[in-house]
Amino acid sequence: MSTFLFAVVSGILFGVFFSLMAIGLNFAFGVMKIVNLAHGDFVMLGAFGAYYALSTFGINPFETMIMEIVVFLVVGVALYYGIIPRLLRSDDPEMLSLILFFGISQVIEALATLAFGTNPVTLPTNALGQLSFQLFGQAFESSWVISFLVSVVAIGLLYVYLYKTKMGIATRAIMANRDEAAASGIDVNRISAIAFGIALVLAAIAGTLTPFMLGGIYPSVGVNLTITSFSIIVIGSLGNPIGTVVGGLVYGLSLLLMQTYLSSWANMVPYVLLILILLIKPSGLLGKGARNA
Amino acid sequence: MQSRFRKGTLWAAAALSGSMFLAGCGTTTSAPASGPAKTKSPAAEISIGTLYASTGSFATSSMPEYQGLQFWINQVNAAGGTYVKAAGKKEKIRLVSYNDQSSAQTATSLYNQLITVNHVNMLVADFGSVLTSVAVPIAQEHKQLLFDQSGTGTTFFTPNNPYIVLTSLPTSALWPTSLANYLISQHYKNVAIVYCENDFDQSQDQTLTRLLAKAGITPTYNNAVPTSTSSYTVILHNMAATHPQAVIELGYPNNDISFMQALQASGSTFPTTFTIFPGQLPSLFEKNFGMKGLNNMFTYPAPPLFTVQGVNYGMSIAQFEQAFKKQTGSSPNFLNVAGYNTGLILQKTLATATSLSQKSMRQAVTGFSGSITTLDGKFQINNQGAQIGETLPVGQFTVSNGKLKVNFMS
Repeated sequence: MSTFLFAVVSGILFGVFFSLMAIGLNFAFGVMKIVNLAHGDFVMLGAFGAYYALSTFGINPFETMIMEIVVFLVVGVALYYGIIPRLLRSDDPEMLSLILFFGISQVIEALATLAFGTNPVTLPTNALGQLSFQLFGQAFESSWVISFLVSVVAIGLLYVYLYKTKMGIATRAIMANRDEAAASGIDVNRISAIAFGIALVLAAIAGTLTPFMLGGIYPSVGVNLTITSFSIIVIGSLGNPIGTVVGGLVYGLSLLLMQTYLSSWANMVPYVLLILILLIKPSGLLGKGARNA
Repeated sequence: MQSRFRKGTLWAAAALSGSMFLAGCGTTTSAPASGPAKTKSPAAEISIGTLYASTGSFATSSMPEYQGLQFWINQVNAAGGTYVKAAGKKEKIRLVSYNDQSSAQTATSLYNQLITVNHVNMLVADFGSVLTSVAVPIAQEHKQLLFDQSGTGTTFFTPNNPYIVLTSLPTSALWPTSLANYLISQHYKNVAIVYCENDFDQSQDQTLTRLLAKAGITPTYNNAVPTSTSSYTVILHNMAATHPQAVIELGYPNNDISFMQALQASGSTFPTTFTIFPGQLPSLFEKNFGMKGLNNMFTYPAPPLFTVQGVNYGMSIAQFEQAFKKQTGSSPNFLNVAGYNTGLILQKTLATATSLSQKSMRQAVTGFSGSITTLDGKFQINNQGAQIGETLPVGQFTVSNGKLKVNFMS
């Protein structure tokens, strides 16, 4: 029983973290209808940022996170204005975005390999605190609980942004129909640029936490992170950021329960869930209803 | 709206499949380290074909092994070449190499390319069992002798396949002998094992559990995980729940690092905790966990952590360390040794084979098997090509006077 409880609680902690990791990818797709195949690489860069800040300058991961929020927001906005308006003017922006961001992913991975080498690196898990948390008689690492809390706050702030601010409402209008939003006077490019910046910020925050949740990081880990993120958003609902939370929880719980009871099959979880969802409910668990809510 | 979702989903699925495919094929345009050979057995040089992984999960191990092989080639060519008995003179070595990016799928096509397009004289496998596993059937099909550097999976060596020789490590079936002996000597009853699903680790697990069973020990936990596993915390928690006296993790370097990170985070301690690669790549593990993190950890120490006595072929470990540092600027690790050792086996093969046919080279290897000892140990193969001359002791890291030391347990 204790093993089951540990797996369930760990699954929830991991699930919320996975939601954070994937939500930026879904947010960018929801607003711009582009698939950022370099999303996992931005997560990887966030992780290496945390590693180098701590190992070289002794900077706490939380301070690094704040710096990365600023840097990734600027990079995201610049990247948007540099490439995305042109992409959206093309006949098939979704397809072209795949090719473009695949290229960006390869460039980031190659540059990261040159900069950081190929060896995996880790951060001491006590960098996020040394206390362990007790729940149901089980001890959970402080880094997991802190990553969970940071993820909840970040996802909550995204929710507040989308539903409680004028810019968020404008963002949702663009998500519903870009042309109609533009016709109603919304500065579609400005709002989309900020949305893309926020998507990268979410990736950076997840990246800062990644070494504590997923172990060693290395430049080519980005592809795996993109696949995981993609699976989660399809499970939840493609284009619906809030559905990602559901997708993340389903994924986290499934993965951790599989690791506990059928460990050799654990890594098949994302693919099996992906196939099942595509066969049974292609619009994802929250699908259309939640999107329009 | 739903059709929009469906379209997006399908696009993204196609994209990820495409990206996986393209990532796998990314190296097909890479130029070889030197131009590809167009004819077999050029008179003035010997072509050696190999793969390396400069990115991906095996880069950590593949690149140092490749550097070791390159070091040997540089040494040989600087000396005017190596003696080739079939030609009756010294010939230089030309390396034809491609980057498989740690992808077995990419490696499959590149091994084929080395044999059928580049027509290399000698074929050398990339690091480890995963990237070697695809080379074994290809080499056998083309009747090309595969010099397997470190793919130690027992399934590679079968009576009907004469086209494989393991050069730089004993077959996986032999690795855990010393570990099992140590565990039995400690009278442990509760042993927990986690291993990765690949030939290298699976065959070790099979041997270890078989030897323990002979001593009446049944592991309280013995489960496989995918080789790509990066988070071991829940697995470690489940192992700890069985109150083991020894926790054994069998994986590749990335697995060992993730496992040790989880161990450090959990604060759990066990009388014996064993992982494979700290003994082969101590500096990598020390960089990640410090001496404190390695203190008391059990492992398989390998040269240069110990010195092989009675070396009668090639450099001694001290000479190698000095020359390697001079050439590359960095201190060698075991995988550098393994790559260099492969070069020595190629060199001895060329010096004794009466022709450059693959069968003749295989006969030559059988002929000098058991008679040479390199800095890596005694080179001896069985009739299936598996290396059985080398042994891997069990050692325990300790910190003494601010230095990391290894105490040998067997």
